[in-house]
Amino acid sequence: MAASAVTAVRGWSGLLLGVRSVVLRLPGLTQVRWSRYGPEYQDPQIDKGYFRKPLAALTEEEKYERELRKTQVIKAAPATRTSSVFEDPVISKFTNMMMKGGNKILARSLMTQTLEAVKRKQFEKYHTASAEEQATIERNPYTIFHQALKNCEPVIGLVSILKGGHFYQVPVPLADQRRRFLAMKWMITECREKKHRRMLMPEKLSQELLEAFHNRGPVIKRKHDMHKMAEANRALAHYRWW
Amino acid sequence: MATPSLRGRLARFGNPRKPILKPNKPLILANRVGERRREKGEATCITEMSVMMACWKQNEFRDEACKKEIQDFFDCASRAEAARKVRSIQEDLGELGSLPPKKLNKLLNRFPNKPHVS
Repeated sequence: MAASAVTAVRGWSGLLLGVRSVVLRLPGLTQVRWSRYGPEYQDPQIDKGYFRKPLAALTEEEKYERELRKTQVIKAAPATRTSSVFEDPVISKFTNMMMKGGNKILARSLMTQTLEAVKRKQFEKYHTASAEEQATIERNPYTIFHQALKNCEPVIGLVSILKGGHFYQVPVPLADQRRRFLAMKWMITECREKKHRRMLMPEKLSQELLEAFHNRGPVIKRKHDMHKMAEANRALAHYRWW
Repeated sequence: MATPSLRGRLARFGNPRKPILKPNKPLILANRVGERRREKGEATCITEMSVMMACWKQNEFRDEACKKEIQDFFDCASRAEAARKVRSIQEDLGELGSLPPKKLNKLLNRFPNKPHVS
């Protein structure tokens, strides 16, 4: 959160350059989580295929790159990143966002239970459906998860811009990362808040994921509301300066 | 043009005439230069956005119907972002002959003006 605030501040590069350093020192916007690695540290290479390539198959560029890496300092790989075939960066990110108080075990178990619930529901539907419908039913929970989150991503976002003493909601294009984050955030918020007291998270999440996969449901509605607001405020688009 | 002369311009005991200049701050070179005036930026990708929104209005905000317009909008946004990045790097590197104000200030602070003797 502080990192996103700092990057937001960096984005105002043309606006009041002198104020930037003051803003960074404010208690609400002080960076509390920063990397202990300097800029010279390189990211670790997790992909085993990179190392299994035979020496003869490498181009000159790749050979040079390998020799260069031998001289560079490399960061330690985090415990969550593996070279396993089952690793999925989207699932990892979603699990981290669901995590509360550092309880990764619980978050991961909820995630696996959600995927299992999705799979079970789809298999039930499959076994009760006729032959033509069976071809259209998607049973892989990972594809359902990815497609659902892709359907939830907003295309355009709204930003509060101060002009003439009033804040206006201005439509603004969003970066890919921001869109993915918003989709996941909306999904998690929706599942946390709008569920029955006794309903468990995996059940609710699987329900919402399946609905988003079919382009209906509350998260998709929220995305459409955002689009409608942007469409209503399209005249204010000129308040942007970037 | 050479620096205009300061002879007989200020109100001093040795100066018989009225002062020409009445500076409110001491006439000493500061160790910083002023910031560059930021250019008024303008909103990018307005046309793509309006085309996309017109498509949305016709098709009740369904994304499947407006895939092409949405893709155009994303392409425009990424191009604008890349151009912005290049421009900011360009500004940091050089200002068409002279350094940018931040780097100039750093340099001047390394070799500050000495208004005192020692």
